[in-house]
Amino acid sequence: MNFKTTLTTALAALVISTGAFAQDIAVIAGSVEDAFMDKIKKGVDDATHMVEANGGTVQYLRTQNYENFGPDLVTLINQAVAQGVDGIAIPVWVPDAQIPALQAAASQGIKIMQYNSGLPVKDDIGALNYFGSDEYAAGFGGGKYLAEKGAKHILCHIQVPGAINLEERCRGVTDGAAEAGAKVTVLNTPPNLDGDVTGTAEALKAEFIGDSSIDAMVSCADFGAAAGANAVEQTGANVMVAAFDFSPASLERISAGTQTMAIDQQPYLQGFLATSMLFANLKFGTEISTDPVLTGPAIIDASNVEAVKAGAALGAR
Amino acid sequence: MSTTGRDQKTQSSLGNIVRRPETGSFVGLVFVFTFFAILGGPIFVGAPGWSSWLNIAAEVGIVALPIGLLMIAGELDISVGSVIPASSMTAAIVSGHFGLAAPIGILGGLGVGLLVGFINGYLVAKTKIPSLIITIGTMFAVMGLTLGFAVLLVGSTSVSLVADPLTKKLLGTFVGGMFNVSMFWWAGFVAIIFYLLHISPIGNWIFALGGDRESARNAGIPTANLTIGLYMLSGFAAAFVGILQLLTYTSAQVASGQPFIFNSIMCVVIGGVLLTGGAGSVVGIVIGTATFSIVNQGIFFSGLDPNMGSIFIGVLLLAAVLSNDGFRALTIKLSTKKS
Amino acid sequence: MSVIGSFLRRPEAASAISLVGIIAFYVLIGGVNLGTLFGAASWVNFAANLGIVAIPVGILMIGGYIDISIGAMIPAGSMAIAIISGYYGLPIWVGMVGALAMGAVVGLVNGILSVRTTVPSLIITLATLVVMQGVVLAGAKLLTGNASVSLTSPVWAKTMFGGLIGSSHQTIIFWWLAFTAITVFVIQTKPVGNWIFAMGGDMVSARNAGIATNKLTISLFVLSGMSATFVGMCSAIQFNSAQVSGGMGYIFNAIVSVVVGGTLLTGGYGSILGIFIGVLTFSIVSQGIYFTQIDRNWSNLIIGVTLLLAVAMNESFRKFALSPPKKRPGAQRERQKA
Repeated sequence: MNFKTTLTTALAALVISTGAFAQDIAVIAGSVEDAFMDKIKKGVDDATHMVEANGGTVQYLRTQNYENFGPDLVTLINQAVAQGVDGIAIPVWVPDAQIPALQAAASQGIKIMQYNSGLPVKDDIGALNYFGSDEYAAGFGGGKYLAEKGAKHILCHIQVPGAINLEERCRGVTDGAAEAGAKVTVLNTPPNLDGDVTGTAEALKAEFIGDSSIDAMVSCADFGAAAGANAVEQTGANVMVAAFDFSPASLERISAGTQTMAIDQQPYLQGFLATSMLFANLKFGTEISTDPVLTGPAIIDASNVEAVKAGAALGAR
Repeated sequence: MSTTGRDQKTQSSLGNIVRRPETGSFVGLVFVFTFFAILGGPIFVGAPGWSSWLNIAAEVGIVALPIGLLMIAGELDISVGSVIPASSMTAAIVSGHFGLAAPIGILGGLGVGLLVGFINGYLVAKTKIPSLIITIGTMFAVMGLTLGFAVLLVGSTSVSLVADPLTKKLLGTFVGGMFNVSMFWWAGFVAIIFYLLHISPIGNWIFALGGDRESARNAGIPTANLTIGLYMLSGFAAAFVGILQLLTYTSAQVASGQPFIFNSIMCVVIGGVLLTGGAGSVVGIVIGTATFSIVNQGIFFSGLDPNMGSIFIGVLLLAAVLSNDGFRALTIKLSTKKS
Repeated sequence: MSVIGSFLRRPEAASAISLVGIIAFYVLIGGVNLGTLFGAASWVNFAANLGIVAIPVGILMIGGYIDISIGAMIPAGSMAIAIISGYYGLPIWVGMVGALAMGAVVGLVNGILSVRTTVPSLIITLATLVVMQGVVLAGAKLLTGNASVSLTSPVWAKTMFGGLIGSSHQTIIFWWLAFTAITVFVIQTKPVGNWIFAMGGDMVSARNAGIATNKLTISLFVLSGMSATFVGMCSAIQFNSAQVSGGMGYIFNAIVSVVVGGTLLTGGYGSILGIFIGVLTFSIVSQGIYFTQIDRNWSNLIIGVTLLLAVAMNESFRKFALSPPKKRPGAQRERQKA
């Protein structure tokens, strides 16, 4: 009904009118306000060139925020199904909500590719493969790294209490640290402090002062590192600051020495591989014999931060 | 209504002190501080505790002051929730991404706040639409513009800014190790707004505006300009907090201001300002901000479940409004008895 | 001509024009395929959840009150049923009663405080909002040791409250339609409808006219609390789990929907049909953007602009509606209550 529509990408009209010959996929991701998802988008965008060169289309669907996350994700899944896609690439963040919706999609012949999160439930949704980090392994690597750097008592900060993937990260940190002889305390901050750097910094400060044996902290959120570095600056405590994931500001801190390291899961690769490999499976029938494919953990510290900065300038890291 | 306004300031008797709305707020503050001092021990009463809640209070306090003025004038401003990230994102994009000098980016960020404030004020003054609705509308619009432009210009929703040492020292550093420089700015805002409300003639206008807009206009008060001015002040203050956050944490995020919407209103109400307009004081707002921040931070020193903090604040809020309600009833009773 | 005139005089006239306007905008600028848009379940499901909360919020607004505690009552409802029937394993109906009772109790508190004091309802419900957020978080942690609780519901409950029709449309849509129909019927045919409008127009004269304004206000707050916990309860049954956060977005979404639907924030003017249309408009604006070529990043901008335009339009329509047949002296008073 609109010629411009058919000329550009990703529209339902196109899906219906061109029928079964094109392979159309939807990539579902988290909040539009979440900078981490922009790195995934860069990977998806780059893979889209390959998909379009082969006659397919890619839709990139994101929730507005994390307020009503489970239902919002189900909404996006149903939306992709309604638009007649052939494949969906998606992380599983809220298994209870997402699994039934993904099973329903699969029963209509839609192939599922999983990335970023939810490795333990991969078989429940019958995903082709998984591209992402194993939260536990990432935590394990991070905990071990800090303990080997001399930490004896690590604080593991969870910014959303009850989030299974974050608890898994701290469980990994605990076991990794234990292997190198350090102990771990988990700190849950209330959800109203999620994203609030000042509030989190003051909460961490209270912990550092209350227990002077803490000599390292790892936050499950990037902003937690900003808060942690700030709390260290305020208290003068001798605490190594680390976090899962990173922003341009964390790279500056690693360069400046106010943050020890960041645990990277390479979101660019997750978006790129999930999109291109889902499409290749639909179009060419390819399969990767490595399953799952782990894109992390990769530790960023002073030794490799400059290389990461170059990638960050291009939006890929 | 005017009995609780500033005309009372000239008199001074014990009855008047008891009747002042901030007396109740002050009792609340003392109670809360004592409670957490007992639970939190010497650490909470020492520099770590003080700096902890003062750092929080400074940020929310700078926003709460003009919100308080607006509420005294009978209006609300919800848009502060998106002005904070809009301002820090503007400054980060101008100075961090495009590499201009930090002061230029800061002026840009503050300009965004003034502009949003002007639009709010103009719409509130020129239409009959309630300010709650207008500022919800501008909140959504500014949120969308911030996100859209950040992605369009930078391709990311998180932008970093490393400022020159002088700017950093003025706006984003810690004094004596723990005390964020923001609290001195807060003190500055308190002084200016105290002058505005309680010393300059504008103060009387604001109370009059909140008491009855129609008669305020008839009395020759430039109500439209006053409303626009108050909203620009509120936009400016929110933008200023955005700048302070940016320079302290060297990073701007799209979603970071929402908690300020209700937090600032809570500080103002705990401080004894009525949402119905016409009454309130700067001292009260400062007390309310301090009480709110002590509860929020004290909880981390107390060993209680941090989630209990919001129950505490809610109960305190109710206690504040209900006791103010009681005080007001008492005031009315006493003043009718007198006359 | 008179047909058009009387349509334009109705509170929902302007909101109907907003709805048509936003669809036209999406079709012309966004290149939306109408068939796909109307066939999609996403925005209808969104509208149903929002609509059930927006109706009592709107009725309260017509009556001159506002309720923002719904933001905490939605997760409270889902947490209550998940703890009672999921964690403690009691029958599902006990959990349902528990969730609804929780909404009723908080509504009762809101209502009683609103009528017994002179404190504005915005502040009262802000306090209960914050208290309930803490209660839900601390309570879940205390009782279950976890911030997310899972729930398995029997088939009948799943079918009635959390099922899917045609594997995409949630059953809550029927509850929304039924709730809308019942409230439209009650407000238009029963005296209580007039009471609410009278109360929002002028509380004192309504009370003098013999209307039991206190009882009415308390009942409306109870209805609002229960509707919010009902939505939370359905969501827990639907998604087999309850999470403590979430719900805050409903506060502004519901207010925006109600106001776009032609209801006056200061009370005394509005209609259920208008609220219904407002919810549809909001849902299409925020969820329909996926079906357009417009970047999702701009959706909040479109919501904000739609709200301001819709309110401005409602304002001029209301002037038109109130002026030609008979000049109403009360119209000037509207501003003072803001």
